[in-house]
Amino acid sequence: MDPAASRPAVVIDNGTGYTKMGFAGNVEPCFIVPSVVAVNESFLNQSRNSSKANWLAQHNAGVMADLDFFIGDEALAKSRSSSTYNLSYPIRNGQVYNWDAMERFWQQCIFNYLRCDPEDHYFLLTESPLTAPESREYTGEIMFETFNVPGLYIAVNSVLALAAGYTTSKCEMTGVVVDVGDGATHVVPVADGYVIGSSIKSVPIAGKDVTLFVQQLMKERGENVPPEDSFEVARKVKEMYCYTCSDIVKEFNKHDKEPGKYLKHWKGIKPKTGAPYSCDIGYERFLGPEVFFNPEIYSSEFTTPLPAVIDRCIQSAPIDTRRALYKNIVLSGGSTMFKDFHRRLQRDLKKIVDARILASEARLGGEIKSHPVEVNVVSHPIQRFAVWFGGSVLASTPEFFAACHTKAEYEEYGASICRTNPVFKGMY
Amino acid sequence: MILLQSHSRFLLQTLLNRVHNLEKAVEVDYNWVEFDDVRYHVQVSMKNPHLFLLSVSLPIPSADTVFCGGLPSGAIEAIKAAYGILVQILDPPRDGFNLTLKLNLSKLPLDEDNRHTILVKVASIREVVLGAPLRGILKQLGSRVVASDVNKLVALVHRPKESFFLVPQAEKVTVVFPMRFKDSIDIALATSFLQEFVEARRTAGLNNAPPCSWSLSPPQELKGAPSDALSANAGFVTFVIFTRHVEGKRVDRVIWSLSTFHAYVSYHVKCSEGFMHTRMRRRVESLIQALDRAKPDAIETRRKTHSRSFKRLVGDGNAG
Repeated sequence: MDPAASRPAVVIDNGTGYTKMGFAGNVEPCFIVPSVVAVNESFLNQSRNSSKANWLAQHNAGVMADLDFFIGDEALAKSRSSSTYNLSYPIRNGQVYNWDAMERFWQQCIFNYLRCDPEDHYFLLTESPLTAPESREYTGEIMFETFNVPGLYIAVNSVLALAAGYTTSKCEMTGVVVDVGDGATHVVPVADGYVIGSSIKSVPIAGKDVTLFVQQLMKERGENVPPEDSFEVARKVKEMYCYTCSDIVKEFNKHDKEPGKYLKHWKGIKPKTGAPYSCDIGYERFLGPEVFFNPEIYSSEFTTPLPAVIDRCIQSAPIDTRRALYKNIVLSGGSTMFKDFHRRLQRDLKKIVDARILASEARLGGEIKSHPVEVNVVSHPIQRFAVWFGGSVLASTPEFFAACHTKAEYEEYGASICRTNPVFKGMY
Repeated sequence: MILLQSHSRFLLQTLLNRVHNLEKAVEVDYNWVEFDDVRYHVQVSMKNPHLFLLSVSLPIPSADTVFCGGLPSGAIEAIKAAYGILVQILDPPRDGFNLTLKLNLSKLPLDEDNRHTILVKVASIREVVLGAPLRGILKQLGSRVVASDVNKLVALVHRPKESFFLVPQAEKVTVVFPMRFKDSIDIALATSFLQEFVEARRTAGLNNAPPCSWSLSPPQELKGAPSDALSANAGFVTFVIFTRHVEGKRVDRVIWSLSTFHAYVSYHVKCSEGFMHTRMRRRVESLIQALDRAKPDAIETRRKTHSRSFKRLVGDGNAG
């Protein structure tokens, strides 16, 4: 038997905002770090002919330019404390944007965070359902060529999110995954574990937009936040204080009547001067998550609320799957963590569905009664890393190792083996 | 990151997490694997949130290395010396592991700095256990005690079924690493890396570093070694450690660097592959750019000929 198959597989879920990494068979990822790389560019961009001098300069400075970079929280701290490091975000809107940064990011994940030898472990990586096959090839190339992994499986994150519910309740591989990450929002219908590719809907509003909206609201109100820190403060406010309300008008009234109960305070220290400051957090607590339900308050380009998008997605799916899809709507991604998000989604969706049934009954003159459609939005406590957890469950089954693309296959056929995905087989 | 850190990042994170929320009882059960097949398992139960069970399994030793009671010689003493009353060694260890420690987190020092130091020390359990025999030999060198087994070859495990070798002598210890890699590209890169490594030792600033040499054939010191130890596809690296290298605090770093030398080389081989890929990608991009620059002209000329013939056709139609 392959000795690598006896060790737990490494599961890395690279999201736009955060990367979740750990070993299969565990319930939680080892590390959740921001997907960001800080690179010291001062030695990298020098001309070729001065390479000898460059080497000496590096030696004297006690660094190795190509190894002088940091990821995650360390990267953010480094870029704040010194100006020689430049931040780069390898993933944008769910797609890998900068492969150099991505390769470095994986290198640090493997050697500095997980501290494992990539030759010893099978790897499970994730991708969004809309990833181009070329980018999957690129991933395979880096994994097999640079890291020499014995086997690689690239899973679709929405299927994994569905599989995460697998152990918590019954085995149900049909459902709609509403994946709201930091950089991308997808509504993906899955029937019996197969993604219905033609019905995938995406929404150009995601976690980052909530942050931007919160930042904008705080700026407009004139809160005393240093500009260089305002995005980070808005992100913290979003993660700690935002919640979903049932009705905006009522919520405004509640806040106005009892500001003491609803108003929160934020205390921070200015990064440049070190002086402490504080600011108030008011309406943005519920207005932030509201951009998913009333997008027109944030942008005029996209105005379809999330429940309507989900409804459209299910209506475009094959007719025999629709009831099952309505019954199992699974949330995944960090931006679905707002309090009562699933309740609001379920209520709004139910409203749309009921209105349609009423209309059709009226059209038929009330002679034929249809079965009521069950709408169910499932929420579970591990939503934040549901994709990772699904990957961990999948990679700990014995069948996983047989489903992987192996190094031998890669050497025989090349990177094109990564184009095909068992879930999408027959699509490309 | 140039050198690998000696503490396991995840173990330290878990410990700190536990210590900061000691009163909150949480179930913790985690399995993970580090390079060179060192496995960890940590467990905290709801009932006793201050008891932290840490199990470690070590790489399987090759035939020529001796483990007594599933641990390298001197490991138990090393653990006791390093952690004192904080830990208790459970016997027998957890199934499938070589060692299980019971940490009593309520016995940690209250001072924040001291506590952090000792937790880092716990997270470096691997260095303590696997480096114990090495520590014994280097201590002897440091105290200039001439042991009875002078000039005898000692094999120490550092990877599954692979060992490195030491020859303790009165005033120096010679360390020999047979370097093995699986992939042919890795072998080539490692060979040139090691040659450069030996070359770099000769630069001016490194006069006091341990002398090192590399050869493709087994060095003199390995005369008495078993035959399977003498085959290494990336050659043999020899370090000579003198008394001045093991004085005082330095000995810790020497132990860690020596016992993870293979992991260090393999990390740098992977990094250089990554670096080369970056260079290749940049080159491909610049070539594509050059191609793109050549493109617009070709399209325009084609369009020109196209439109001309189209015009002529129209003209012909009018004439007819």
